[in-house]
Amino acid sequence: MSSSEYPDYVPRNVAVWTKSNVEHTGPRARDAWAQDEITWGVFSIPESQFGVLDDVAGRDVVELGCGTAYFAAWLAKRGARPVGVDPTPAQLATAREMQAEFGLEFPLVEAAAENVPLPDASFDLALSEYGASIWADPYRWIPEAARLLRPGGRLVFMRNSTLVILCQPLEPPALEQLVRPQRGLHRLEWSDTHEVEFHLGHGDWIDVLRENGFEIERLVELYAPDDAETHSFYNYVTADWARKWPPEEIWVARKA
Amino acid sequence: VSYVERNRRVWTEKNVREAETAARLWLRKPHWGIWNIPEAELHALPDVAGKDVIDLGCGTGYWSAWLARMGARPVAVDVADARLETVRSLQKEYRLDFPLICANAEEVPLPDGSFDVAFSEYGASIWCDPYKWIPEAARLLRSGGELVFLRNSTLAMLCFPEHDAPALTELQRDYFGLHRVEYPLIDEGVEFHLGYGDWIRLLRGNGFEVLDLIEIRAPEDAEGVKYNMVDADWARRWPSEEIWKARKRPDDGG
Repeated sequence: MSSSEYPDYVPRNVAVWTKSNVEHTGPRARDAWAQDEITWGVFSIPESQFGVLDDVAGRDVVELGCGTAYFAAWLAKRGARPVGVDPTPAQLATAREMQAEFGLEFPLVEAAAENVPLPDASFDLALSEYGASIWADPYRWIPEAARLLRPGGRLVFMRNSTLVILCQPLEPPALEQLVRPQRGLHRLEWSDTHEVEFHLGHGDWIDVLRENGFEIERLVELYAPDDAETHSFYNYVTADWARKWPPEEIWVARKA
Repeated sequence: VSYVERNRRVWTEKNVREAETAARLWLRKPHWGIWNIPEAELHALPDVAGKDVIDLGCGTGYWSAWLARMGARPVAVDVADARLETVRSLQKEYRLDFPLICANAEEVPLPDGSFDVAFSEYGASIWCDPYKWIPEAARLLRSGGELVFLRNSTLAMLCFPEHDAPALTELQRDYFGLHRVEYPLIDEGVEFHLGYGDWIRLLRGNGFEVLDLIEIRAPEDAEGVKYNMVDADWARRWPSEEIWKARKRPDDGG
């Protein structure tokens, strides 16, 4: 599949991420790369609190929707062999600059996570943190992650919680009310940015994972710590909301 | 007074009016939850013919009766003896015999590894502490046995008000810390509910593999409010109930 044959939402999301690269992710990339600790989500919860990643040293890792590849960089610092995959050239250009600056080289592949030009069974870990996990269609990217993983390999991805999506009006932040039906939840278009996201309920996630040969190992629901403040850029949820309900969740599944 | 005793009292009292509906329920085909979704549509159960099934919190025993008609060998457990009295009289009326045990589903006086299926529909699944009854279900199951239970969805739990009224769209309760839930304005019953991550952790921690989570949607033609709990319109937009399916992993013994 060449870039002209991608599903309709891929070029739309690439446009959004090209703009975001100028406004936020590009300028923020240096700090993110310099960070030593692995953290999750908008409230930067340390990985050490959950231990979802185990030991990544010597592991082949594919990051699906890597953006500026800070997460891949964190894993490379711990001895992993990451490959970053992203469909947005501007984000990968930033990632390349950071690689040169930090002296951390690993392959970057310009592709959508629905169709990755890499061989079957070539990774121990498929990872996505606000990447394919919300901007790619799970009915396309989960089978692709299954294909890329070796038997026994792990899939770890972070997404918004289904609850925060149900409570999300057209304008942020999330309300303390259900404003969107779960019925039919799948493709979601935000009228302000025209980006296309994909979200499923818990039952549908379990179905798509099991249908693709994954065993469900964990679902870690993230909260805002007591001292957290609302994120200045990713303001879809307030810290107060996120202390009561999970805004984000990490799924961990193992390929049988 | 323990939550076990409080729930026993609530169900002994409720039994008076539910005994009448139980007789009709026994005659019906197997169906799930407040929206009466036929098992023939959901396929939530494994093949139960010839299988030993334990019904944890059987109430008036209608599911055990249905399981018996499906060819299973059910054993029905309930903490309220009044409920089991109702079951006994229906067993006579319909000439359908299966063992009844008056016990808390958190401590069932039966040997390890004696069942192929552990089942609960609005029984232990919401009235017992999952940190006690899930290990007990794991103990009772044979290796490879399946656990199937229906409960209110966690989403519905977040939306139930404190007074006796159907689920709202406004969130009424925090997700964080969800476990023991009481409704002091309604009755002295004590329910137990967990979030999705905690359910998965608990099931896996007790040697279960998660097979399925069926989120139930009210049918198109459903109308009005059921059990003063959920309006059909709400339950068409969001799942009001869910069925978990899990299998006891063979490599965990049993």
